[in-house]
Amino acid sequence: MGKLKRVKRRLVSGAVSDNLDTIRGFGPWTLRRRHPSRAWMRRTYMVLLPVSLLASTLLVSAVTGEFPFDNRHAVAAVATTPAVTVASARPVAPHPSRTAPAAMPADRVFTDLPVPIDVAALNLSVRRVILDAGHGGSDPGTVSGELLEKDITLDINTRLEKMLRQAGFDVEVTRAEDRTVPLRARANIANQSSGDIFVSIHVNSIRGSHAIRGIETYYLGPTDDPMLNELAASENRGSGYTLADYRRLLEGIYADVRQDESRALAESIQKSLHGDLVSVNPYLENWGVRKAPFVVLVATEMPAILAEVACLSNKDEAKLLETDTYRQRIADALFKGIVAYARVRGGEAEKGI
Amino acid sequence: MGKEAQHVLNVGIDLGTSRSAISASNGEKFVVESFVGWPVDMVAKKVLKRTVLIGHEALSNRSMLDLHRPLERGLLKEGSEKDVEAVRELLRHLLTLVGAKVDGTGTTRAVVGVPAASLRTNKQYLRNALKGIVDNLMIVSEPFAVAYGLEALLHSMVVDIGAGTTDFVVMRGRYPTEEDQRTLTTAGDFVDDQLAKLIQARYPDAVFTVYMVREWKEKFSFVGNPKSPVIVQAPIRGVPTDLDITIEMRTACESLVAPSVETMIDLISRVEPEFQEKVRNNVILSGGGGLIPGLAEALQKGLDQIGGGKVKALEDPVFIGSDGGLLLAQDAPDSDWEKLTA
Repeated sequence: MGKLKRVKRRLVSGAVSDNLDTIRGFGPWTLRRRHPSRAWMRRTYMVLLPVSLLASTLLVSAVTGEFPFDNRHAVAAVATTPAVTVASARPVAPHPSRTAPAAMPADRVFTDLPVPIDVAALNLSVRRVILDAGHGGSDPGTVSGELLEKDITLDINTRLEKMLRQAGFDVEVTRAEDRTVPLRARANIANQSSGDIFVSIHVNSIRGSHAIRGIETYYLGPTDDPMLNELAASENRGSGYTLADYRRLLEGIYADVRQDESRALAESIQKSLHGDLVSVNPYLENWGVRKAPFVVLVATEMPAILAEVACLSNKDEAKLLETDTYRQRIADALFKGIVAYARVRGGEAEKGI
Repeated sequence: MGKEAQHVLNVGIDLGTSRSAISASNGEKFVVESFVGWPVDMVAKKVLKRTVLIGHEALSNRSMLDLHRPLERGLLKEGSEKDVEAVRELLRHLLTLVGAKVDGTGTTRAVVGVPAASLRTNKQYLRNALKGIVDNLMIVSEPFAVAYGLEALLHSMVVDIGAGTTDFVVMRGRYPTEEDQRTLTTAGDFVDDQLAKLIQARYPDAVFTVYMVREWKEKFSFVGNPKSPVIVQAPIRGVPTDLDITIEMRTACESLVAPSVETMIDLISRVEPEFQEKVRNNVILSGGGGLIPGLAEALQKGLDQIGGGKVKALEDPVFIGSDGGLLLAQDAPDSDWEKLTA
C-alpha cells in the first residue's frame, strides 16, 4: 500500500511537471536533460552563427569596398525571381522567455532542445517552389464517378505551375503526367531540387457523409520558444539568401524553423483557399490548419504543406470540380497563398510593395 | 493529499472525438456525444428555442444546425474559431451537468485526457481554448488517466481504442514519456470509414449515412468468427432492403488488429527485458473499441509472436478515463493545483 502511494505521488508529480512545462512552452521530456552540457554548445553556436555571418560580411565589405549582399545584388535577383528580398521591418515583441528564466529552476532554463530561429529574422526569399500533385498512375486517390483525384490534382498543379512561372518563381513538379511516384521519391525530388517550399495538392473525401465539404491544410507539427530573433533580424537584412541556402548553413536547427515556416505557409494558403472559394462555394467550411505526419511533410527538408483543396465526396463540390473555372479558381487561390507567404517572408508586406 | 475544500469541485474529463465523459467529486457522472450545433438562421433558432445545442440533441436536430464535432483524431482542430467555441460549449455543458458553478462562485479543478502522442503545442492550444471555463486545469494523456484509474501503474500496458485515436501507454511506475506512448489514427472512425466503403462496394445502390454505419458497428461489430449473420436495413431506390454485411463488418473491425499488434510489440520491445513478460501479461483494452467482441482475443493472439501474453478487455469502459482523471485531480495536492491555473 505504501509503495502504491509512493508511485501515485510520483505520477501526480510527473503530471504536474509535464503541465508546467507545457505552460512554460518547454519541449517534451525525452528531448531534454540528456546532455546538459550540449545545451551550452548549442547556445554558443546559435549566438556565434549570426555574429560570424555579420563579421564575415563586414570583413568582405572592408576589403572590397562592396557589401556582398547589398541591394544591387538584390535588384539583379529581382529580374529573375519573385523579388522578395527587401529588408524586414518586423516589429519586435518581447518574448515571454526573455523574462521567465529568473523565475524558473536552472535545469528548466537550459534545456537540451535546439533553439529555433524565426526565419523572418533572417530575411530570406522564396525562389523555388516544389509542386506535388497528389496520387497518380496506379493510385487514383479518391474517386467520385468518373472524377479521379489524381487527374484533378494534376490539372490544378499544371495551372498553378504556369502561374508561378509567369510570376518569376522557379518551379519543380514531382509529376507532370499521370504516373506513379512513390512518396519517398516525391520528397527526394523536392530535396534534390533544393526547393524553398513544398506544396502538395490533394482532394478530400469524407467518409459516409456527402453533405459536408471543407478546406484544410496540413503541416508537420511546429515547435516554439524562438530565441535571438531580434538580433538576427537586424544582422541579416538584405542578405538575399534563399531558404535553401540557409538550410545548408543552419542544418540541425533548421528542423524547428521548418516546422514554424510550414505552419505559416499552411496558414497563408488556407486563408487564401477558403477566402477565395467560399464566394463561389458558399457552404464550404473552413477546417483550418492542422498537423499530420504525412510522409511528404516529414521527409521533405523545406517548409512543406499538404492542402486538401476540395471534397470529392460532396456531390455539389464534385460538380464544381468538373469545371475548368473552379479548378482555375483553386489554382488562383493557391497562387495567392504562396505569394502572400513569400512576400511576408521577404518583408514586402511591411513595405507595402 | 488532495484534501478537498468544501467549495472545490474536482472533475475528470475524457474529451473524446465521439463522446465526452465527465466524473465529478460530488458523485455525478455524465457522458454526451461530442457534437455542438448552432441554429443556422432565425427560423431554426425560433423552432429550437435555443442558441446552442449539444450532444445527442444537436445530432438529432442537425438539419437546422451548424453542427461541429470539434475534436478530430482526439485533438482540437486548429485554425477554426468555431471549433474552439464548440469545445468551450461542450466543456461548459459537461460542467453544468455535474453541477459545477460556472458563475465564479466556486472553484473547479479539471483533469482532461487527450491522445497519448499529443504535442506540447496541441496541449497549449487546448489549454488556451479552455481558459476561463475552469479555475485549474491539468492535461494528461488519456491512456495514462485510464491506467491511473485502474491503478495499473507498474509493468502494464493500456490500449485505449476511441473514435479518433487508438492510444497506447506502457506504465513503468513513472509519468509516461514519449517513448512510453503511441497514438494511432486507426480507431473507431477508421472502422466506420472502412465499413461504409465495403458496404458501398457490395451494395452500390444502397443509401446510408455515417450515423447509420456507426450504429451498425456499435450493435454488430465483431472480430473472428461471426455468431450469426449481420443483417441491416437500408433503402435501395427507396425500398427498405435487408443487407448482409457480415463479411464487411468483420473485415472493417479486423483492420484494427494488425496496426495495434505491431504497436504493442514495438512498445513492449522497448521495455527493460526483465519486465517485458510482465507487461505482455498485463495488457488492458479500454475505450469503446475495446467492446468489439473477439478483439481482445485477436490482440492476445498477436502477442504469440513475442512469447504470448494476456489482453483483458474492460467491461464498462465509458467512465474509466474520466474516473482516472478525477482520481488524479483528487490526489494532486492544493499546492500543485495552485500552479496550474487555467
